[in-house]
Amino acid sequence: MLSEIPPIPSQNDARPSVQIDGVSKSFSGVTALEPVSLKIRKGEFLTLLGPSGCGKTTLLNLIAGFLEADSGELFINSELVTQVPPHQREIGIVFQNYALFPHMSVAQNVAYGLRTRRVPKAEIAERVRETLALVKLEDFADRRPRQLSGGQQQRVALARALVIRPRVLLLDEPFSALDRNLRTAMQVELKEIQSRLGLTTVFVTHDQSEALSMSDRIAVMSRGRIRQIGSPTEIYDCPQNHFVSTFVGDANLFSATLVETDGKKVSLNVGETRLPLTTYQDELPAAGPVTLFVRPEQCRLSAAGQDGAIPATVALSVYQGSYAEMHLDCPTAEGGRVMLRVPASEALPVGTAVSIALPEQGPAIYAKEEAAA
Amino acid sequence: MSKRPFLGWFASPSILIAFGIAASFLAIVQYSLRAYVPGSLDPGGLTLDNFTTLWKLVYGQAFVNTVLLCFWTALFTLLIGYPLAYAMVRAQSAKLRSAILLISLTPLFLGEIVRTYSWMIVLGNRGFVNTALKQLGLIDQPINFMFTMTGVVIALVHFTLPIVVVMLAAALSHIDRNLERAATSLGAGRVVVFATVTLPLSIPGIVAATSTAFAWTFSAFATPQMIGGGKVQTISTLVYQVGFASFNFPLAASLSLVGLLFTIAVLAIFNTGIRRLEKIGAH
Amino acid sequence: MKKSTLDHVLDWSGRILLTLILGFVLLPFFVVLIASFNDSAILSFPPKSWSLRWYANVFEYRDFGAGLVNSLKIAGIGASIAIVAGAGFAYVMDRYDFALKGLLNGVLMSPLIIPNFTIGLGLLILSTSASLPRTIWLVIAVHVIIVLPFVVRSVYVSLQNFERRYEQAAESLGASPLHVLVTITLPLLVPGLVSGALFAAILSFNEFTASLFVVNQRTQTLPVAMYNYVREYADPTLAAVSVIYVLVVAVLLLIVHKFFRLEKVLNVE
Repeated sequence: MLSEIPPIPSQNDARPSVQIDGVSKSFSGVTALEPVSLKIRKGEFLTLLGPSGCGKTTLLNLIAGFLEADSGELFINSELVTQVPPHQREIGIVFQNYALFPHMSVAQNVAYGLRTRRVPKAEIAERVRETLALVKLEDFADRRPRQLSGGQQQRVALARALVIRPRVLLLDEPFSALDRNLRTAMQVELKEIQSRLGLTTVFVTHDQSEALSMSDRIAVMSRGRIRQIGSPTEIYDCPQNHFVSTFVGDANLFSATLVETDGKKVSLNVGETRLPLTTYQDELPAAGPVTLFVRPEQCRLSAAGQDGAIPATVALSVYQGSYAEMHLDCPTAEGGRVMLRVPASEALPVGTAVSIALPEQGPAIYAKEEAAA
Repeated sequence: MSKRPFLGWFASPSILIAFGIAASFLAIVQYSLRAYVPGSLDPGGLTLDNFTTLWKLVYGQAFVNTVLLCFWTALFTLLIGYPLAYAMVRAQSAKLRSAILLISLTPLFLGEIVRTYSWMIVLGNRGFVNTALKQLGLIDQPINFMFTMTGVVIALVHFTLPIVVVMLAAALSHIDRNLERAATSLGAGRVVVFATVTLPLSIPGIVAATSTAFAWTFSAFATPQMIGGGKVQTISTLVYQVGFASFNFPLAASLSLVGLLFTIAVLAIFNTGIRRLEKIGAH
Repeated sequence: MKKSTLDHVLDWSGRILLTLILGFVLLPFFVVLIASFNDSAILSFPPKSWSLRWYANVFEYRDFGAGLVNSLKIAGIGASIAIVAGAGFAYVMDRYDFALKGLLNGVLMSPLIIPNFTIGLGLLILSTSASLPRTIWLVIAVHVIIVLPFVVRSVYVSLQNFERRYEQAAESLGASPLHVLVTITLPLLVPGLVSGALFAAILSFNEFTASLFVVNQRTQTLPVAMYNYVREYADPTLAAVSVIYVLVVAVLLLIVHKFFRLEKVLNVE
């Protein structure tokens, strides 16, 4: 199932729209962002994904120019902009709470960026109308922002950012204030507009499902570093380290001992069980204590005592409608628990002794010390 | 790019005013060290005589009076300000809350003269209180409020109440109501909840309010001047008297200076207290 | 939920206490109101007959009118200067770091601790030793110094609560710093600025102690004129002035309350 990993797209296809070279930032001695380098292709939808405090918002603010980098250079369309103030960067931003100017109407909000550019009045009117049509808000031009629903406010924010024909669109957790149904609808709408306009977009979120569904590429960040960058499939199917494996999707982790390595073929002990496996990783940790990672959907339940499977006991079964989540007590698992999903009809009673069979291909092995990070 | 585009424009008017404040402060310091030349507004040579003069009984008495006034005023203001602030913060209806706030604030916005004059009419020998008590047959002779410490304290409590209520209300409104609900759920009655949760949590606010009440009373002038009528001398009334009756600016300056140092010392003590308390309350 | 006897006792004693305290706060103003309509020149209660003569007196006594004009001038000019200087300083305090920032703040806020009589004396001595005439500008200077900390605080609080994202959004849309200031920051700060200025004007209008040190016959403010009147005459004319004064200030306060909600201005919500 994992044999066909898509090739990592070459980053030299075209001139990058945004190029970040060794940009770093710290606040009063506390590092918010380690030196980061990144190229974003023209028209690409790139997501910065990570928990709060991982540096994703700092990186966004550096691209926007609201923060000044401690080191490194930043290029937009090959133009060096490191020292350029925000109002000359020609970047569109949609903020978390939209930051619609409360003292202006919808039309005035959208026109703001054109006014500052001294665009002729007639053209302003025309472009505001066009852009409001693009976000389906033609009839709301004279309303005040607070008279609009959350979804409408977000469209105004998007229109205001788009009307200036920005070189890059920055989205700072724009969906977090919306309820779930509206959020999905807005995601589709935004993605459509973005690909229609071929707009280079940097999207900041802590929501993995948003990231997986919208992005061309995802940069997973933690503690001021990019931990992995790749397409949504790469990130989900082939996480390269412990952090990415647990932050994106569900993960089962076992304490294991790596016995021997032969290319991508490895042999390891999980408790008493000897497992031969093939991983997708190019680099493997040295022999010794390691962490073994498997997605829940790759694990299978089998009868207790089966050869080459890991023993466990059913601790809890959580009914989820179409399936049941089985939580198993497993002494060799990190944290003592393993979770996997079975059809609801196949849920086992609490206390049943079982064993967990792993696929020969698919799991990954991370150096043990990473678990602490 | 300039990171502080408006610094010069925005800061210069206030810098000018700061220079004015500093200059007038230096003028006081300088005059306090100069000799008094009777009959002249210009001071004489350098001397420390002004400060030795302050040891005289009349000045010492003014200090004692001022401190006593501050103490009694702060005490009574807290005693009646706390229930008021509590009622305001806990009032169920927004209208009642607004009404309490507006009424408690009224004295703040009326200025010293109107307030003090009103109290003169209330407390005078033929004023409202004495007439009422007489007609009720409770007294034969009028009670002396005018020209007494009691009268001054009553008017000063009225004067200090608004700011104390505002500060206590701010402190009380920042107490998480769930803490009280938690105490109630654990079986504490209203009195116990108040004594074990609300009151302790509002102590930093109480200390802050006390320190402000102290500073306000210390700098009060019209009330001790008009109700004390020269019988209750405070530092403020004495500074005015020395400055304008005998035009002894050097002595007035040194008296102000000593008073100011005293205020700063007392407020510094309060501030350390508040900081300690906030550390305890910090999460 | 059933209330216990103790609850009822607490409820009622609380209500009575509240009424008594509010009565204490309002008592002097009621007494003044009654006194102002008392026909007799000697204060006594209750009045034997009623009249409006003290109100007529108010308008005949020149010093009150002149004092009112001075007070309005001083409050108007002083509050305007204070709001410009104070808003600028609050902005600088909120946004920038610069050398001696703490010292400048300390000096400008010091009038919160320094008693008004000391401030008045200081400027009196300063103007005397510099041989400056005691004009209305000296009084205005004293008032600006006294109200400035309150203005700075009021604007500073507004700035602290200010959503910086609005400014960032404007910047990202191509607005220069000056353009951001004029089209975004200032319009959104208007409530804070107006309430700060009104607050300053009311404080200045009421200021008495420091003014007493720096005014002369020509520049005396209304409170000083009132004080001088009490020292010379014992009739209830001042009660009439007080009633008018209370009414004017109450109306002003109600207006402020209507537009800005005092709870918000005073941070007791």
